[in-house]
Amino acid sequence: MLSGLALSAMLTALVAGIAGAWSPCGFSMVDTIGTALGDARRPATFVACTTFTAGAVLGGALTFGGLASVGELIGGPAGGVREALGAGLALAAAIADWRGVRIAPQIRRQVPERWRWTMPLPLACGLYGILLGLGFTTFVLAFAVWALAGISLAAASPSVGLLIGLAFGVGRALPVLWMAPGMRSGEGGQRLEEMAAEPRLWLGLRRLDALGLGLCALFLSGTAAAAAPLGSDPSAAGEQLVWQPPRGPGVLRVGSGRTLTLPGSYPAVSRSSIAWLQNGVITVARQGTLAVTASFSVGQANALALSDEWVVYRGQATGGSESLAGISLINPSGPRYAMRSRPAGQIGRPGLDGSTVVFTLNTSRRSAIEAMNLVTGARRLLRAAESGAAFANPSLLHGRLLYERIDRCAQQLRIGSMDSATHDRVLLSLPSTVRRDPGYQPGYEHNWNGASLCPGGGAGGGGTIRLGATAIDASAVFVTEIPQNARDAQILTLPG
Amino acid sequence: MPPEDGAEHFADAVLRQSSRRGFLEWAGGALIALAGGSAAARMVLPDDAEAYTNFCGHTYTTGNCPHPTGLPRVDRYSYPLRAGDGHPVDDLGRPINAQGYPVDARGNVLREADGEPLSPAPRSKVCTAAGAEHGLKLQIDGSWYRCCGGRVRRLMDCCGYTSRRINGDSALVGYCYSGRNVFCVQYYETNIPC
Repeated sequence: MLSGLALSAMLTALVAGIAGAWSPCGFSMVDTIGTALGDARRPATFVACTTFTAGAVLGGALTFGGLASVGELIGGPAGGVREALGAGLALAAAIADWRGVRIAPQIRRQVPERWRWTMPLPLACGLYGILLGLGFTTFVLAFAVWALAGISLAAASPSVGLLIGLAFGVGRALPVLWMAPGMRSGEGGQRLEEMAAEPRLWLGLRRLDALGLGLCALFLSGTAAAAAPLGSDPSAAGEQLVWQPPRGPGVLRVGSGRTLTLPGSYPAVSRSSIAWLQNGVITVARQGTLAVTASFSVGQANALALSDEWVVYRGQATGGSESLAGISLINPSGPRYAMRSRPAGQIGRPGLDGSTVVFTLNTSRRSAIEAMNLVTGARRLLRAAESGAAFANPSLLHGRLLYERIDRCAQQLRIGSMDSATHDRVLLSLPSTVRRDPGYQPGYEHNWNGASLCPGGGAGGGGTIRLGATAIDASAVFVTEIPQNARDAQILTLPG
Repeated sequence: MPPEDGAEHFADAVLRQSSRRGFLEWAGGALIALAGGSAAARMVLPDDAEAYTNFCGHTYTTGNCPHPTGLPRVDRYSYPLRAGDGHPVDDLGRPINAQGYPVDARGNVLREADGEPLSPAPRSKVCTAAGAEHGLKLQIDGSWYRCCGGRVRRLMDCCGYTSRRINGDSALVGYCYSGRNVFCVQYYETNIPC
């Protein structure tokens, strides 16, 4: 499902593309394609229209998809700053377009006219389409085009960037498709003349763009505000997000952005329920009303995970050891153990999807992400390393595994199939927090010591931010960023 | 990896002919001196600190074994130590306590935002891990001792059946036996003053 930002940015891009028809190139395209350079055959115009449209869509996808990819690559601990900047840019452009301010900076260039004479018309029109679709190779007719570039970068989602680019390309092609085929009959020519004589239509389109940009700014600022709730241990389902603040009980944030303090700590959420822990009792309640549906006395516990079928908790014994157990919400009975009696810190915070619990089991001999079906008791090893790396904080949704992989050089937030690591994607990469020496002693001959270095990083104190607990829902992923003072931990929202 | 000049290659080639460095320090020196390379002779057969590469005691040009914090310092069992102070570190480079839990500068266990201790991570023998990283089965064969910073330092070659060393070029015999060659190097700081 398209997010509000994607939808409003797409509509804005479509209108911005149409507004581009009021440029020298826009007029030239209608004329060039409509007259087919004197070719009386209608198919010539049809083919040129097709290649122009394909080129424009491709160009748009390249520009805005590329910018979004760059935004994704930049990634990093932006903490909502990038979204806030994007929102500011969109708002400024909206004001300028609403007031019809003269476009600046303007790109006073046109597509090469000689292509009309030196190339077959379909090829030339295809190339013209690419140049116009790229957006910034010729005259820009609305501030929205600049703003959409910033929005693509800020959204940092290649899919959103592609959608913006596709819409922009279609927008650039629509006036051509509307007028060019009718040029010979005179109808198209009349439309073109009316368009040339009526700048108010262009200004009207810019006002539509302004409205779209206003919506984009609203969604982006909402994202910026939602990007960094202070706390850790997020859990997400639908539009609900819960987390544990540095002090006090857990917090629930609903889709509207409203937050609610819960009666207990270590909250977890599923599609229909919410759970928290208070005085050794797990309480499960309905979302919305918070009407209690079940409660279980489990003693000391310090982590919860919830699905509509199970609640899983990490229990603490008096000796300091910990265990991981689940209780069925459909047929409650005694706890079913996923892991028994391990020293504190070895069993990671659990993630739960349906009846499948995922967790890390970390020792100084091996780091692993394991899964267990709480109904059948079947266990699976999802990721493991015996040297050089550690895994942490897995979350699971419909077979998609979100987790962290940490080695001596980097901390990576990854997502992929729970069945195989082959196609795992890195969503966020931070440098290791470890201080490293340069791999040679000062005063001695410095020769090859590449193995001691990290790609893109040398010696020094390392990063100051550590990745913490994660959560995943259908449209976004959440990860805790923990600075040196853990009380300043915050939860980042990233497109999934 | 920077290309090596001819003198260095020649020096390494000399060493490759033998598994015992004591002999080579005599024979190699003579050969190189004959070749007219006095500067190369100083480089290849060091008798002072300036001739060591990357760290005190390391002769020749084979690169460091991959190490969590940089310099390839290990403990007596070949597990990684932080070079600066000899503190044990895990494979991620985090200082750890005896139970393998990450600790801060004062030795306190580091904790998550919710108070849970940070998870331990694997701690691997540096030589073995280097092999795993490069698809080789590596082991420590022989070693050599030198005086570094007032203490005796043990220089250990990480050996395997490979013709390539970690630098990417030809491997030397070094302190390796039974047809194995040096893949990378590491060292252990003894408590013996010198």
